[in-house]
Amino acid sequence: MSDVLIATALVLLLSMTAGLARVVVGPTPADRMMGAQLLGTTGIAVLLLMGRAFEMPALADVALIFALLAAVAVSAFTRRRLDREPDE
Amino acid sequence: MSLVLTLLSVVSILLGAFFFLVGTLGLIRLPDLFSRLHALTKTDNLGLGLVILGLLPWVPDLFHALKLVLIWLLVLLAGATGSHLIAKRALRGDGEDLTP
Amino acid sequence: MDFATRLLVFFGCWTILAGWDPSSWVIGLPAVLFASWVYGRLAQDSARPGIRPMLAFLPFFLRESFRGGADVARRILRPRMRIAPGFQTYRMRLSQPAARVLFLDCVSLLPGSLSADRHQDVIQVHLLDASLDVTPELADLERRVAAIFDERLEPDAHV
Repeated sequence: MSDVLIATALVLLLSMTAGLARVVVGPTPADRMMGAQLLGTTGIAVLLLMGRAFEMPALADVALIFALLAAVAVSAFTRRRLDREPDE
Repeated sequence: MSLVLTLLSVVSILLGAFFFLVGTLGLIRLPDLFSRLHALTKTDNLGLGLVILGLLPWVPDLFHALKLVLIWLLVLLAGATGSHLIAKRALRGDGEDLTP
Repeated sequence: MDFATRLLVFFGCWTILAGWDPSSWVIGLPAVLFASWVYGRLAQDSARPGIRPMLAFLPFFLRESFRGGADVARRILRPRMRIAPGFQTYRMRLSQPAARVLFLDCVSLLPGSLSADRHQDVIQVHLLDASLDVTPELADLERRVAAIFDERLEPDAHV
């Protein structure tokens, strides 16, 4: 079972690398932000898979922090210019 | 652990990984920002959901299972709200996000 | 939600996250109290979501999540992607803030639609295929969300 988990985690790592392309290429800041979000979510999946494969349940807590940070990062990013909007 | 359960769990995890790959492909392939947001939110959330579903039979205790589900809910909420905020910023912003 | 319910919910969350270790409550107790207070400040005029309608919502939510992911995957994987992106507007009939947030988030999970902007009651929905009218689907979702928060909607849905 852990072989499958580790293999899947590796495939997801590769997918993260491909996602990095969007962060590097952009072209707009929002595109880069989306790339970063994708890295976060995929990273959570990788952490959970490895936590199971290597019997390290604490990695789930790391994944949780990833999820929290992703949420904060996106709201912080979008606040950067929207703070002038009156009706929100 | 029974064979059927193992099989189901592996299928779910692989399907989840497949959706992650599709999401990444979509992020690279799709032509505009809003369409990419579709790929990002939907496939990622489904991918993570399926991976977590596949991991559920292997958790040591109930608390751990609930924690995994909680992580998924948090990512769902952050993903959906985040994509809404990004789209809104792109629509209302100074055009920084629409003209490359 | 009244304070006691919120306290119970956040107490449960903390137990899931930190386990039963008594020393964790040094941080946990203030965090739970603070979260309950902040939730009350942010969502004061929203009704308490009903447990039973929420359970009824769950299978619908899971099914739509799956359909949404599968739909977008099918479009992306075609050699020539089948998309005709565009916007549609929809007038929300929900009035409670918490219900609106849930509705907006769920719109992004329906196949092909993404909530993009909101001005008062009117939301802009981005669609991967804008040739389809999604008003009936949105109205259906809105009805289900309204049931959770025990809200009555006007009968007619406008575009």
